[in-house]
Amino acid sequence: MQIRRSLTATTAMLLVGVAAPSMAAAQLGVQQERNAPSTYAITNARIVPGTGATIERGTVVIRDGVITAVGASAAVPSDARTVDGTGLTVYPGFIEAFGSLGMPSRSNGNGGRGGRPGGGPQAFFRGQQQEQPDGAPNSLHPPGQQPEILAVDLLDPADDAFTAAQAAGFTAALTAPASGIFVGQSAVISLRDGAVQELVLRSPVAMHIGFTTSRGFGGGFPNSLLGVFAALRQMLLDAQHYAAVQAAYTANPRGRARPELDPSLAALQPALARQMPVVMTANSEREIARALDLAKEFNLRAVIAGGQEAYKIADRLKAENVPVLLSMDFPERPARRGPDAEPEPLRVLRERVEAPRTPARLVDAGVQVALQSGGGYDDFLANLQRAVENGLSRQAALRALTVAPAELFGLGDRLGTVEAGKIANLTLVRGDVFEPGATVTQLFVDGRPVTVRAAAGRGEGTTATAAGTWTVTVTLEGSDHPVTLGLQQSGETLRGTLQGTLGTAQISNGSLTPEGELRFTSTVTLPAGSEEATFVGTLTGNTIRGTVTIVGHDPGTFVGTRPEARGPGGARGQGRGAGRPPQR
Amino acid sequence: MKTTLVVAAALAALGAAPQAAAAQGRPADAAAPVTLIRNATVLTVTKGTLPNTDLLLRDGKIAQIGQNLSAPTGARVIDATGKYVMPGIVDPHSHTMADAINEGSLSVTSMVRIQDVLNPTDVSIYRQLAGGVTTINVLHGSANTIGGQNATVKLKYGRDVDEMLFPGAPPGIKFALGENVTRKSSQERSRVMGQPLRYPATRMGQEEILRDAFMRARDYKAAWDDYRARVAKGEKNLVAPRRDLELEPLVEVLEGKRLVHAHSYRADEMLMLLNLAKEFGFTVKTLQHGLEGYKIASEIAAAGTGLSTFADSWSYKIEAYDAIPYNVAILMRHGVVATINSDSDERARRLNIDAAKLMRYGGLTEDEALKTITYNGAIQLGVQDRVGSIEVGKDADLAIWNGHPLSVYSNVETTFIDGEIFFDKQRDLAMRAEQARERAELERADAAGSGRRAAIVP
Repeated sequence: MQIRRSLTATTAMLLVGVAAPSMAAAQLGVQQERNAPSTYAITNARIVPGTGATIERGTVVIRDGVITAVGASAAVPSDARTVDGTGLTVYPGFIEAFGSLGMPSRSNGNGGRGGRPGGGPQAFFRGQQQEQPDGAPNSLHPPGQQPEILAVDLLDPADDAFTAAQAAGFTAALTAPASGIFVGQSAVISLRDGAVQELVLRSPVAMHIGFTTSRGFGGGFPNSLLGVFAALRQMLLDAQHYAAVQAAYTANPRGRARPELDPSLAALQPALARQMPVVMTANSEREIARALDLAKEFNLRAVIAGGQEAYKIADRLKAENVPVLLSMDFPERPARRGPDAEPEPLRVLRERVEAPRTPARLVDAGVQVALQSGGGYDDFLANLQRAVENGLSRQAALRALTVAPAELFGLGDRLGTVEAGKIANLTLVRGDVFEPGATVTQLFVDGRPVTVRAAAGRGEGTTATAAGTWTVTVTLEGSDHPVTLGLQQSGETLRGTLQGTLGTAQISNGSLTPEGELRFTSTVTLPAGSEEATFVGTLTGNTIRGTVTIVGHDPGTFVGTRPEARGPGGARGQGRGAGRPPQR
Repeated sequence: MKTTLVVAAALAALGAAPQAAAAQGRPADAAAPVTLIRNATVLTVTKGTLPNTDLLLRDGKIAQIGQNLSAPTGARVIDATGKYVMPGIVDPHSHTMADAINEGSLSVTSMVRIQDVLNPTDVSIYRQLAGGVTTINVLHGSANTIGGQNATVKLKYGRDVDEMLFPGAPPGIKFALGENVTRKSSQERSRVMGQPLRYPATRMGQEEILRDAFMRARDYKAAWDDYRARVAKGEKNLVAPRRDLELEPLVEVLEGKRLVHAHSYRADEMLMLLNLAKEFGFTVKTLQHGLEGYKIASEIAAAGTGLSTFADSWSYKIEAYDAIPYNVAILMRHGVVATINSDSDERARRLNIDAAKLMRYGGLTEDEALKTITYNGAIQLGVQDRVGSIEVGKDADLAIWNGHPLSVYSNVETTFIDGEIFFDKQRDLAMRAEQARERAELERADAAGSGRRAAIVP
């Protein structure tokens, strides 16, 4: 075991090259492994295995990164570290179906000249000067049109973005460079600490097309959507021609001029042969239609990433058997609009209302769906819950987070369910992940416990929680109005209802900062009619107090208490269960 | 629970697909029934004006023109007494529906296609239908000498792009000469920003770019001709030449299969292009804008080239100073197929007024004025056998006006394309109520499902 790990590290060293700065860290990682426990048992947990029935109270046993037993009466090995799963639900580890986790933020193709002779390795590995876009060495094509680029070659496992993804329950992710036309080939990676070589579950997985112009006006071709399609079409034609020329030369090289090597065109061959899927980023109906047209023209195995308006074209997606890596980054309501603001266009309203309905509509239409966060990890669970509220079955939702991406990415035999023999990627949730208030408490990734932390930049977890039933007195223009405020919290987002002498209404725009600053708006019924009231205040323990603002009225106040203990969705991410080795 | 109920109610209310479709401007014109338009004044454009005339539209075509036609069973009958019917307006120069206009990076971008970036949901389509427009020529912009391939489109609002592309319309391409290409202002910006300057910076360079491109296209054609000849002779183990998307459309121009629409202003640059086309053996289909066309009307006519311009828009840049409102009239009197175009989403809604101006400036007849926005445009796009006039056998692309279309007081009541209604004033009014209802539903659903963190405004 240790010998194998050392060998891996040695190979890694050879692969990366002597100068790679990550080597020291990788070796330290190996050192740590020697003493780290590798056997765990999660006991007394509710287990949703993703295949077969839910186990209301059971045990999951993990050894050396793999699930070895699952069941109501699975035996806990004597050498296992036990994690008490009371009150927790164990789901198969969520898989982020699309994104650029761990990719350099300046991906290939931002400005810069063509990559003709000599990018050279020194411009390839990380650590090159920031001005240079990442480009493939010795490519005959400019950055942004280099399909030979591999996500694994750009992967930075120390990316802080993993933290936020982990907090949303993701244990693995498909990752590809972020910008360009042919942006490169993706990999599926484990979301944990470790050397690049340890994290890769599969590479390459898919060819990615971005449809984004890589340079601004005044730069090179293409600088418009028009040119993007021409460039795509020409390059795919060139790849077909390249194959023909190479085949002719290979068959009969004597007496023929040797065709030049073109790594970019060579890299496109598996996609043209339908051996490799082609993931195309497209959101509006017409973007999706254009992507499908291109796929049809070149007989590509299309996958759509994004898919905001995919429901409008679901029949075609179904007929052409095109999966959708659907973004859960739903459009948000703009910040409070002024009284003189123009009404929002119907199109914008439709987009916002249809977004949470889209997952269910696609599933109902028989389209293969895998979910991606769209980058908005803070909202991911809340949006997942909205999708369920809007008709997506829990079973379909779980599938779209686990089995569906695993199968799409060729990992169905190893990922996607809680089953003996599969990679031990697990998402542990307090509460039901499809209900408001659920909190991801811990992950197992490759059999190792991962402590979930709040996203970087927001401190160590939200300390204040507002979930529960509050008895509130609202004082407006001298009179008191008793109301009951029922709040649910998801991350920093609040939802709920306000009931009482001010009428009954859903609250909106609700938020609570970690420091306890509370804010929401609600419609209130006053003798003069309905008004929109903005509540701003602070939460301390089981007390809230603050001011109520209604346009055209004197400012009011509110004060409330929470008689019962705080509701579900309590402290976030503070590890429960047995002590674990530090992860970083 | 409550939220679920509200959402469910909203879903139920929105449910029926046709309603939602109608709200998006999609016509509920199932199966394009037979239509009989009764007792209209028909402006055929090519066959004069026919008073008190009936039109029978069937299978997307104009089936009969006559008096006292009988309505087949199930036909939609429209009483057009006191109203006018004219052919759908053809706009030979538009950028409506284009999600991108210019690929301005290179001087030759013949590889790009407007067809790839059309937006079939552009609301401007609907507005133009309300102005009686049915066919438009969506052109690449004028940033470079050889721009992209254009798309001839029927404004079938609510349909997919595939259904809107004019079936059988010959392909075309945009060229551009003069100031927009030399782009002195953006060259200056490039200089300041340290970006490379794009050749050419003068009209001389434009001619060179054109000649170079067509010489390369000739070589490319020769390579393919040679390959095909060798294949025909039965040679084995041949590899086809590389397909070049830049040169393919230029070969089609050389072969007369692709129409050239050339943005141009000054007489000298237009003459340059006509001479160059002669040298390479093709005909320029249209000069676009061509504000100085009147100076070389005989030469343009002799070249067999058309011209598409504005009725009275000029002096917006140096090369547009020598324009006169008599341009179209002079060109027509010299035998040039001349048209008025919009080059603007806004102007496209009122091309009838621009046509009417030509009767004031240059004394065109009613039919001649109407031709500049209908039949002549159809000729310029190579679709004159299909649209542009009201004749039996042509596509049923026409509009019913509540008064004479050359009057500023008239507007469109109903617009047909291929016999289907794509705009109708009464439907539009009904749709407004439907949209108000949809808005209310959406706002309710939006509020119900809005436990969202919104940006906080203090």
